Amino acid sequence: MSYVCSPFTSRRTILSSLLLLFTAGLIPGFFVPSAQAVDPLTIYSGRSERLIKPVLDAFTASTGIQVELLSSGSTELVNRLKAEGDRTPADLLITNDAGTLELARAAGLLHPLNMREVERAIPSQFRAPDNAWVGLSGRFWIVAYNSTMVQPDQVKSILDLADPKWKDKIAIPNSGSEYLQAGVSVIRTTYGDEKTRQFLQGLKANAGSQVYQKSSQIVDAVAKGQVALGIVNHYYVYRHLAAQPGAPIAVVMPDQQEGGMGAIMNVAGIGVIKSTKHLDSAKLLVEFLVAQAGQKLFADLDKEYPLHQDVKADPALVERKTFRAAQVPLSKLAELREPTLALIEQVGLR
Amino acid sequence: MSTIRHQLVSPLQLVAMASAGIILLPLGYVTAQALSADPVVWSRLWATRIPELLFNTVSLAASVAIITLILGVSTAWLVTRIEFPGRRLWEGALVLPLAMPTYVLAYIYSYLLGFGGPVEHLWQLVAGPQARIFSPHSFWGATLVMALDTFPFVYLLSRSALLSMNVSFEEVARVSGVSRFSTLWRVTLPLMRPSIAAGVALVILYVVSDFGAVSLLRYQTLTYAVFQQMTGRSDNIAASILSLLLVGLALIFLITERWFRQRSRFYQTSGRYRAPQRRQYGWLGTVAITGYLGVIIGAAFALPAYLLIQWSLSPEALATLDNRFFGFVWNSGILAACAATVGVLIGLPLAYLASRKPTWLNISCLQAAYAGYVLPGPVAALAVLVLFLNVMPFFYGTAIVLIVAYVLHFLPAGLQSLEPALQQITPNLEEVARTLGLGVQETWRRVTLPLIRNGFIAAWVLMFLQIMKELPATLLLRPVGFDTLAIRVWMEASEEYYQLAAPSALLIVLVGLPALALLLSRDWRAA
Repeated sequence: MSYVCSPFTSRRTILSSLLLLFTAGLIPGFFVPSAQAVDPLTIYSGRSERLIKPVLDAFTASTGIQVELLSSGSTELVNRLKAEGDRTPADLLITNDAGTLELARAAGLLHPLNMREVERAIPSQFRAPDNAWVGLSGRFWIVAYNSTMVQPDQVKSILDLADPKWKDKIAIPNSGSEYLQAGVSVIRTTYGDEKTRQFLQGLKANAGSQVYQKSSQIVDAVAKGQVALGIVNHYYVYRHLAAQPGAPIAVVMPDQQEGGMGAIMNVAGIGVIKSTKHLDSAKLLVEFLVAQAGQKLFADLDKEYPLHQDVKADPALVERKTFRAAQVPLSKLAELREPTLALIEQVGLR
Repeated sequence: MSTIRHQLVSPLQLVAMASAGIILLPLGYVTAQALSADPVVWSRLWATRIPELLFNTVSLAASVAIITLILGVSTAWLVTRIEFPGRRLWEGALVLPLAMPTYVLAYIYSYLLGFGGPVEHLWQLVAGPQARIFSPHSFWGATLVMALDTFPFVYLLSRSALLSMNVSFEEVARVSGVSRFSTLWRVTLPLMRPSIAAGVALVILYVVSDFGAVSLLRYQTLTYAVFQQMTGRSDNIAASILSLLLVGLALIFLITERWFRQRSRFYQTSGRYRAPQRRQYGWLGTVAITGYLGVIIGAAFALPAYLLIQWSLSPEALATLDNRFFGFVWNSGILAACAATVGVLIGLPLAYLASRKPTWLNISCLQAAYAGYVLPGPVAALAVLVLFLNVMPFFYGTAIVLIVAYVLHFLPAGLQSLEPALQQITPNLEEVARTLGLGVQETWRRVTLPLIRNGFIAAWVLMFLQIMKELPATLLLRPVGFDTLAIRVWMEASEEYYQLAAPSALLIVLVGLPALALLLSRDWRAA
C-alpha cells in the first residue's frame, strides 16, 4: 500500500510520456524525419531484399534520391496496392514475376510510360505493350543437381522430376511462390491440364516435406546433399557458387531436347504506380535500371540475365544463345494464373 | 455506489461498449466473409487442404501437450518437494524459456539439428559417417521446439498448485500405509489436476496460434496456412474459411481451459494448512536432478542464448549494427509502446465496469475483449484488414491498422493484470471518498487510479513485451519503413542467415527478461 503515498508527479510523468508516445505514433512524419531536398521514393518490392537493395543503393548513390523499401510477397503487395488505391504511399512496384506485374497493370494500378530509354534498352517481349511494366532481368527455372549424387544426363526435362525414382530426393518451392505458379502455367499451356496434373502429383509425392519458402534454401539443400535435385531460378545457384566456389552443385538447362518446350523464362520487373506524386524521380529510377550500368548490376550482383542486349551476363552462366526458352508470352502469365492456382490447389501442393 | 451513477449511461460505459464493438467487429467480418463464400471454395478446401491441416494442427498440439505435461509437472515437483543445492536458482531458471520467442528457438534448432549441423556431426562420431538424425523441419522438430518453449506454462501452474496444496492429504495417505509413489499417483497428482489441465490447455492454445516456429520449420498448420493463403492468393476468401476453422478450434481449447480454471477455484486449501516439507537427497540424487534440469534449461535457453551471443559477436552480425538497425529497434519500441498504451486505455474501462457494475452488459463487454485469445496473429491481421477495407479504407496502410491488430490480439494479456488489480481494491474506499465530498472524477484521480497503478503498469509492460515479439500481423500489416526487430529475425532466419538474424533476436530476448520477473511474482498467464 505504500505506493499510494508515492508522489503524484511520477505517475503523471509516466502517463504523460505514454500519451506522448501514443500521439507520436499517430503523426506519420514523426517516424521519418525527412530533411532531403528531393522526396524519397517509396518502393514496394516482391524481391528478396538481399537482391534488390544493393541495386537501389547504387541508384541513391548516383542520384541522391533516397529510397524507402517495403519488402514482401509480390502477390501480397498487389493486393495491398489494390486496397490502398489512390492513397498508397508507393511510387513503384518491383516484383519477381511478370504475371504479377501484368495483373497489376490489368487492375489499373500502373502508369504507362512513354520513355525512349526503355524502348531502346529492353526488347518488346519483356515489357507491357504500353510500358506500364518493364522487365529488368531474366531468370530461368532450372534443375539444380548435386554433382556427387546425380549425373547431368539423368535429367533432361523439368517433368523428369516427377519420376518415382526421385522419391524423397527433390526440393521444390511452395505453392505461394509466383515463379512456381508461372512455371506451372507454362507447362499447362504446352502440355495441357491432365499431363500437368500428373506432373504435379509426382512432384508432390517426390518432394514430401522438402517444400521450401525460399530458393536459397533449396540451393543450400542441394549443395549439402540433403536432396539430389531442386527446381529453382538459375541465379540462386550461381550466387551460391560465387560465394562457395567448390560447392558440388550444377545446373541442367531443362527441356532442350528435340521437341522439348524449352526452358521456362520469367522476368523480374518494375512498374510506376499510377497515383505517384514523384513521377520524375520514378522515371529516373526506371531509366537507371534499364541503362547499361543498371543492367550490369543485375548481371554482376544477382547473376541474372540482363535484358539489355548490349550487356553481357556473368560468364559463369550458361550462355544465353546456346539454349531455347519456352514460347509463352510473359503477358499471358496473368490470365493463366487463376486456373493454374486452381490446379495447384486440387493437387494439394503445399 | 452503484445507485449513484445508475441513472445515466455513463460515458465510461459508452467507451466500454465501443471498445467491445471494435474488438468484435473484425471477427464478425471474417466470419461473414467465410460463411458467404462460394460453397465450391469450401468443398475444394475440404477435399484438398483442410483434413491435412486439421490433422497436423491437432497432432502437434497433442504431442506438445504430452511432453510439456511431463516436463512441467516433473520440474515443478522437483523444485517444490526436494531440497538440493541451487534449488532456488533452478526454480527461477525454469521460466527463462518464455523469454525466447518461438521463431528464435525454431531458427536455432533448424541450425542445430539441420542437415550437416552440429548435432548431426556429433551423432556421426557415434553412429558412423552415414548416420542421419531426424530433420527439424518435421512434426518432431516442431514438437521439440514448441515443447521446450511452452513447458514453463505447465511448470508455473503446477508449481503454484504444489505450493498451495495442503500437505495433510498426503500425510494421511502415508500414515495409512500407502507407499510414496502410490501417494504421488493417487493423492498428489489428482489434487493438481485442475492446474495441470489449465496449463496444458494454455500450451495448446499457444501451439495452435503459433506462426513463427511452424513457418520456419515448414510444418503446415492452420495458422501457417492462413498466412500463406493471404500472401499467395489475390483474394482472402480461402484465408477467411481457414481462419474460421482456426477460431473454432481455439475456442474449444479456450473453453476447456476456462472450465478447468473455474474448477480449480473451488479447490480447497482451508483447514489446517501446512507447507510441505522438502526432502533432502544424497549427492547421487542431487547430481541426477541437476543433470535433468540442466539438460532441459540448456536445451530450452542456455544453449540458444549462447549461440545468439556468439553469432551476434561475429563480424557479419556486427556489421549490421548501423543506423538502420537502430531504426528497427525504434520501430519495435514505438509500435509496442503505442499499442500497449491504447490497450491499457481500452482495457481499463472494460475491467473497471465489469468489476464495479457487473451487469450482464458490462461482463459481456469484458468477455468480448478476450476474443484476442482465439485470434492468432494472421487471423487478427486478416480480421483487421477486412474491417478497415470495408469500413475505413483511408486508414489502410497506416500504422493505425497495425496498432488495432496488436490491441485486438494482446488485450487479453493486459486484462489479465488489470482485472485482479481492480478486484483487489474494495469499492468501500471509493464510497468513502464520495461521502467525504469528492466528485466522481476526483475520486477516480485521487483514489482509484493510484490504487490500481501497479496493475496498470504491469499490464502495460506485459503487452509491450509481447507486441515487441509479434511476427505475423506485423509482416502482413506493417507500413513502409516499419520493419521491426521481429521482422528482421524472420527475414534473415528464413533464408538461413543465422548470424545476421542474431543481434535482433538477442535484443528481443534481453528485453523480454524483465517480464519474467513480473511473471514469477504475479501474472504467470501473460507470457
